[in-house]
Amino acid sequence: MLRSMDTGQIVSGVGHAVLILWALFGNVLNSDPIPFEVTQVSAVSEEQFEAAMAGQSAPQAEAEVISPPAPEAPTDTPDLSSAVDAAPEQPAPDTAETPVPDAAPEEVQTAPPADAEVSTDAPVLAPPEEQDMAALVPEESPRPQERPAERVAPEPVAPPEPDTAIDEVEREEVTPDETAETQAPEEEATAPEEAATEIVTEAEETAPSRSVRPKARPNRPAPPEETPVEETQTAEPETPAPAPTDESDIAAALAAAGAGETEEPQETAQETAAPLGNAGRLTAGQEDALRIAVSNCWNVGSLSSDALNTTVVVAMQMTEDAKPVNGSIRLVSSTGGSEGAARQAFEAARRAIIRCGARGFDLPADKFATWQSIEMTFNPEKMRIK
Amino acid sequence: MMNRFLTLLAALLCALSVQSAQAQDGPLRIEITEGVIEPLPFAVPDFVPGSAAAAQAASDISGLIAADLTGTGLFREIPKDAHISGITSFESPVQFADWKAVNAQALVTGAVDVDASGRLTVRFRIWDVFAGQELGNGLQFVGTTEGWRRMAHKVADQVYSRITGEGGYFDSRVVFVAESGPKDARQKRLAIMDYDGANVTYLTDSSSIVLAPRFSPTGQRILYTSYESGAPRIYVLDVETVSRRVLENQDGTMSFAPRFGPDGRTIVYSVSRGGNTDLYRMDINSGQSTRLTNAPSIETAPSFSPDGNRIVFESDRTGSNHLYIMPASGGEAQRISTGSGNYGTPVWSPRGDLIAFTKQSKGRFHIGVMRTDGSEERLLTASFLDEGPTWSPNGRVIMFTRETQGAQGAASLYSVDITGRNLRRVPTSTGASDPSWSPLQ
Repeated sequence: MLRSMDTGQIVSGVGHAVLILWALFGNVLNSDPIPFEVTQVSAVSEEQFEAAMAGQSAPQAEAEVISPPAPEAPTDTPDLSSAVDAAPEQPAPDTAETPVPDAAPEEVQTAPPADAEVSTDAPVLAPPEEQDMAALVPEESPRPQERPAERVAPEPVAPPEPDTAIDEVEREEVTPDETAETQAPEEEATAPEEAATEIVTEAEETAPSRSVRPKARPNRPAPPEETPVEETQTAEPETPAPAPTDESDIAAALAAAGAGETEEPQETAQETAAPLGNAGRLTAGQEDALRIAVSNCWNVGSLSSDALNTTVVVAMQMTEDAKPVNGSIRLVSSTGGSEGAARQAFEAARRAIIRCGARGFDLPADKFATWQSIEMTFNPEKMRIK
Repeated sequence: MMNRFLTLLAALLCALSVQSAQAQDGPLRIEITEGVIEPLPFAVPDFVPGSAAAAQAASDISGLIAADLTGTGLFREIPKDAHISGITSFESPVQFADWKAVNAQALVTGAVDVDASGRLTVRFRIWDVFAGQELGNGLQFVGTTEGWRRMAHKVADQVYSRITGEGGYFDSRVVFVAESGPKDARQKRLAIMDYDGANVTYLTDSSSIVLAPRFSPTGQRILYTSYESGAPRIYVLDVETVSRRVLENQDGTMSFAPRFGPDGRTIVYSVSRGGNTDLYRMDINSGQSTRLTNAPSIETAPSFSPDGNRIVFESDRTGSNHLYIMPASGGEAQRISTGSGNYGTPVWSPRGDLIAFTKQSKGRFHIGVMRTDGSEERLLTASFLDEGPTWSPNGRVIMFTRETQGAQGAASLYSVDITGRNLRRVPTSTGASDPSWSPLQ
């Protein structure tokens, strides 16, 4: 036990000794010096210090302030005394020559009427006093010299014959060749103006009371009913249909869907009967004409603000001469207002339709089937009182 | 795959095309969005007199009906000398073709009878000439010969209502301040007249200054302000008996600008105390008053909404006069006028949708209207001095005071449609200001 303790102490002592030696000679405890500034200070004696301080004592104030000498007045001071400029001599205006006074009119010695108690001395007109007036006599401006005119023609030309037309280009007279063949222009056949042996006034003629409007197109004949085809069983096996190609498939679909419209181009061109479809539709211009015609008669000036908030849909039937059937005008629906307001709005719309339709609307007779029944929506939104 | 797609696309296009074609099968559909705004031409041939004694009344009544309708600016009378056929019998059928020929779109036919006791009977019908139909059913009024004007006004109200769809305003009265004398010593007294200036009756004498008369909802009473006691006080006057009593009489205060509530029992008015003016409301039966505003600014010119729930008034709380709305029981007020200039004397429309007001801007006065939220402000008039609007019973027309400039300037009454059209002077024999329109009688 003691032996082991000795061994430990020995090891510890050796270790510490090595550590101390390493610290002393291993340059471990050295450190770099902190940088510092060095100021050179010199020691002075007391006499030197007092002598130095005596040089920095406050200066004694001067009792007298030496003012700077006044600057001598310059001898070349400009003379400020101003002399009144003599008025520039102005040329005296030329005085106009005083007009010579007119000679006093000769007194007309008229014999006064004997019974007039008036002075017979005629009043003497004092001549106008002469006045000194300056008159500016305008100088006579030189007349402009005439510019030399260019010559119209370099050479004089003899006057043309009296009947010759004036032209920029001189042409020789051309006379038709009588021997040449001429082709007579085509002329329409004419006839003498219609004449009658007696005067027949329009009043005596039996004019038609109304123009005959073209009749409506006949309705398209109904397509014949397809007769059902009985399917029969055949012994032959069904041959498979050929596979549709792209073009045939699309063309078939278009043809099927456009069956109702395939006739349109022809009908449009030939103007044949077609109650519906594009050919039967009104053009935008025709619809606008109808719209404007009704608008001109749709007077909302007397409607209440509630009625002006009401949109009404009015339906009507039309006659073939494009006149509304008055009894057929009915209110289909209304939105935006009360029942009373809808009635007022409907009555205003009905007045518009009847008034402007009294002479017939400008509608194409060949499209009667299109406008035989009309629904008009009267929307007063733009006419509303805000 | 591409083939199938093209096939389906073609089929879809074709189906749409077919559908479009089928859409043409219905009636032709036209939308009308533009119309004209012009007076409706109408004809009122002389009513058929039942006897010689009724001839004058028949002529007068038909003439006054035509004048009432024409005065609205919404109707134009076809002159009688343009009529092709007259009405010789009230029961005989109307020759519509003759009235169409003169472009009369409405026709009023009638008959007048006077019996031995002086009772006047007026029967009438209104026709839509171009439709060839009667508008509504025929009506009959019975009255006295002295009241022929009221009967004519009632017929005109019916015609107006049948054609326009809104109530009339012809059988109504206007209370106003009749003015006479020079501008610096003007005498004022209350007067009442028919809406068209006829039948003027004075309600007070000119011994004291009177201001701002206001009809009750029934037209039987009038609130007004009088300086009879030296300071402005509010009085209520019974139109029938012309008896009156003071409503607000507190020492050291001035009360003015009264207006009835829709119940006819509550009034709202201004009280000025110590230089500050606030709004009050009062139950005129009990005399109990309630303060509605309490601000150092001036609050005045209150007016109830038709339902009685809100009050519009003017206030200078922001430095310039503007319009505010607050609950009828008081509380927070919301400013509704937003434009430049000074706003005043707001009046709520009987329809409830608009507020009429006076506006002073750039040295001129205007009568205008705006929505109750302050939007869609429109100025209807402009002059040296326009003020004090009042609504017709149907909310279609506004009457106001217009005063001309200068020492010789005089006040008179004008009316204008809420569209700004049809500005007309109301005929009065003297100067007139501060109108208040009664309800229909």
